[in-house]
Amino acid sequence: MNSVLLINGLIGGVVFGAIYALIGSSLNVLVGVLRIINFAHGEFILAGGFLTYVLLTYFGINPLVALPFAAVLFFAVGYVLYYLLIPRLAHSDEPETASFLLMFGVSLMIVSVLTWIFEADVRPINFSFDPINVLLYTVENGYGEGRDAKVLVPTARLVALAINALIIVALTWFFYRTLPGKAMRAAIMNREAVQIVGIDIHRLSATAFGLAASLAAVTGVLLTLVVPSIDPNGGADLTLIGFIVIALGGLGHPVGALAAGIIFGLVEQVSNVMLPQAAAQMLGFMILVAVIFFKPSGLFGLERGR
Amino acid sequence: MQRSSSPEIEIDTRRADTVRRTLWYGLVVVILIWCAVIPVFDGNLSLYFAMMMWVTLATGLNFIAGFTGYMPFGYVAFYGIGAYATGIAVKVLGMSVYLAIPFAGVVGVLFGLLIAPTLRLSGIYFAIVSLSLAIICQRAIALMPEEVTGGSLGLNLGVVTVREHGYYAMLLILVAALLTASWLARSRLGKALKAIRDDAEAAEALGVNVTRSRLYAWLLATLFPALAGGTQAWFTGALDPQTAFDVLVTAKTVIYAMAGGLGTVLGPLVGTVVLVWVDELIWRAFPVLNNFLLGAIIAALILFAPRGLIGSLTRRYPRLRRYIM
Repeated sequence: MNSVLLINGLIGGVVFGAIYALIGSSLNVLVGVLRIINFAHGEFILAGGFLTYVLLTYFGINPLVALPFAAVLFFAVGYVLYYLLIPRLAHSDEPETASFLLMFGVSLMIVSVLTWIFEADVRPINFSFDPINVLLYTVENGYGEGRDAKVLVPTARLVALAINALIIVALTWFFYRTLPGKAMRAAIMNREAVQIVGIDIHRLSATAFGLAASLAAVTGVLLTLVVPSIDPNGGADLTLIGFIVIALGGLGHPVGALAAGIIFGLVEQVSNVMLPQAAAQMLGFMILVAVIFFKPSGLFGLERGR
Repeated sequence: MQRSSSPEIEIDTRRADTVRRTLWYGLVVVILIWCAVIPVFDGNLSLYFAMMMWVTLATGLNFIAGFTGYMPFGYVAFYGIGAYATGIAVKVLGMSVYLAIPFAGVVGVLFGLLIAPTLRLSGIYFAIVSLSLAIICQRAIALMPEEVTGGSLGLNLGVVTVREHGYYAMLLILVAALLTASWLARSRLGKALKAIRDDAEAAEALGVNVTRSRLYAWLLATLFPALAGGTQAWFTGALDPQTAFDVLVTAKTVIYAMAGGLGTVLGPLVGTVVLVWVDELIWRAFPVLNNFLLGAIIAALILFAPRGLIGSLTRRYPRLRRYIM
C-alpha cells in the first residue's frame, strides 16, 4: 500500500465527503420538514451543474459567478414547484410512498429534458484555476531511490472545499440562530405542533423546498469544480448517496448529515484506491443496509419510533 | 363481530361473488386464447411478449404492494436473479431451458426467503433497503468471475429454442399469475393480508399470524418476477447486469400496477395493458421525449388518481364492485 495513494484517498475523501454532506443536508430538509422522499434530488443537482456548463461554455461565465445565480434561481423554482406538486399529495393514502413515486416521475422528466438538450454523452467542463494544482506534500524517495512522490491537489477542488465549508457554517447558523431555521427544525420534530404555535406551514414548507432546491443546485455547481465533467444520467447515483448519508446520519438530523457525509466520502474514496470500482460502490450500499438494520436512527440520531 | 344474518344479503353476496368470478375467469380465458393465436397469425410477438411480461410483473408486485402495503423498490432484483439463474443454468450448467425456468423460480423464492428479514422495516426504510439490495446484487454479479456470469458484459445465450416456445412459456406464467391473484383475493390468506394492511394490531388481536401471512405474500411476490426474468432471458437470448437490474423495470412495474389500482385483482392487468399501449404509441410518435411523457403520466397519476383507474372507478361507482374482482 502506497502512502501517497492513501493520502490522496484521504484528501479526496474530505473533498467528496463535504459535497456528500451538502447533498445530505439538502435532502434532509425535504425528508425532515416535508416528509418528501425526493427521488429527483440528483437531478436537481445535475440541473445546477448543467446551468454552470451552459453559462461557462456559451457565455464564458466563471462557475464562481454562476454559484449565487444558481442559488437564487433554484430557490424560486423550488418555491413554485412546492405549490404545484406537494399540497395535493396529502390526498394520498400513503403520502411518503406517493411522494417517492411522484418525484421519480419528476426525475424521469428532468433526465429526459437534459438528454434531449445535451444528448446522452458526458460533457467536459473546461475550467481551471491558475495554478492548476497545489503541491501539498512531497514524500522523499516515495517511489524508491531518488524518486520523490508528490501529493498534488487540483486548486478547483480546494476552492470547492472552502466554499462548501462556508455554506455548511452558514447553514448551521441558519438552522440554530434564525427564526425560519428554528421553525424548520421544529417542523422536523413535530409538524402538527408547529401549526399550533401560529406558523404558516405552507409558507414554511415552500421555503424549505426552495432552500433544498437551491442547496442542491449549488452542490451541482461545486461538483463541476470537483469533477470537471457532467453526465445527464448521473443523477440517480447522487440521489442514492443522499439517502445513504441521511440514513447514516439520522433522518432530519442536520449535524448528523455532515458527519455522515464526510465518513461516507472517506470510506468511498479510500476503498476506491484499494478495491475494484464495483466493490467500492457495493460497500456504500452495504453500509446503508447495515445501518438501517442495526441502528435505524442513524449513527447520530436519537431513538425514535418508526 | 356479529355477522349480518339476513338470508337475502347472504344470497346476494354469494350471487355477486359468482358474477365476479365468472367474469374474471371468462376474461382470463379470452386473454389466453387471444395471446395464444398471436404467433399463428404473425402478430407482433415482441410487443405481446412484453405486454404479458409486464402484466405478470405488475400482478406479482400486487401480492406484496397491494395486499400488504410494502413497496419493494428493488423488485427488479428478483427479475434479474431469475434471468441470471436461467442464463447460468443453460450456459454454464448445461441444463435444459424447460428446467431452467422453474429453477429460476426456486432461486428467486430462496433469495426472497434470504432477505425476508427486511419485512421488519416499515414504509420508506423498506423501500430504500430494497433498492439498495437490488444495486448490491447488480454489482455483485458484475464482480463475479466471467466464466460464471460473464462479468459486466453479461451472457449471450444465443438461440435456445424457437422464439415461440419462450413466448408460450411467458403466456403460461402470465395465466398462473392471474389465477394466483384471484385465488389469493378470495382465500383466507388474502383476507388476513387485507386485515393486516388496514390495521396490523387489530388483525393480530383477532388471531392472524401477521409475520407468517406477510412472508407468504412476499414469497408469492418473488416467484413471478424470477420466472418472468428467466423467460425474458430465454426469449431475447442475452442478458447483462445493466438491463437485468435496471431500476426502470421496478419503476415501470410499480407504475403499471398503481395506474390500474393496487389491491384489486383486475387493476394491475388493466393498468399495464393501457400504459404499455400508451408507452408504445408515445414511443412511435415522440421517440425523444418518451421518458418525459412517462414521467408526466406517473406524476399526474399520483396527483390526480392515487388509487388508480380501477380503484377510482369503484370508489366513484360502488355498484361496479359487483363485477370487478
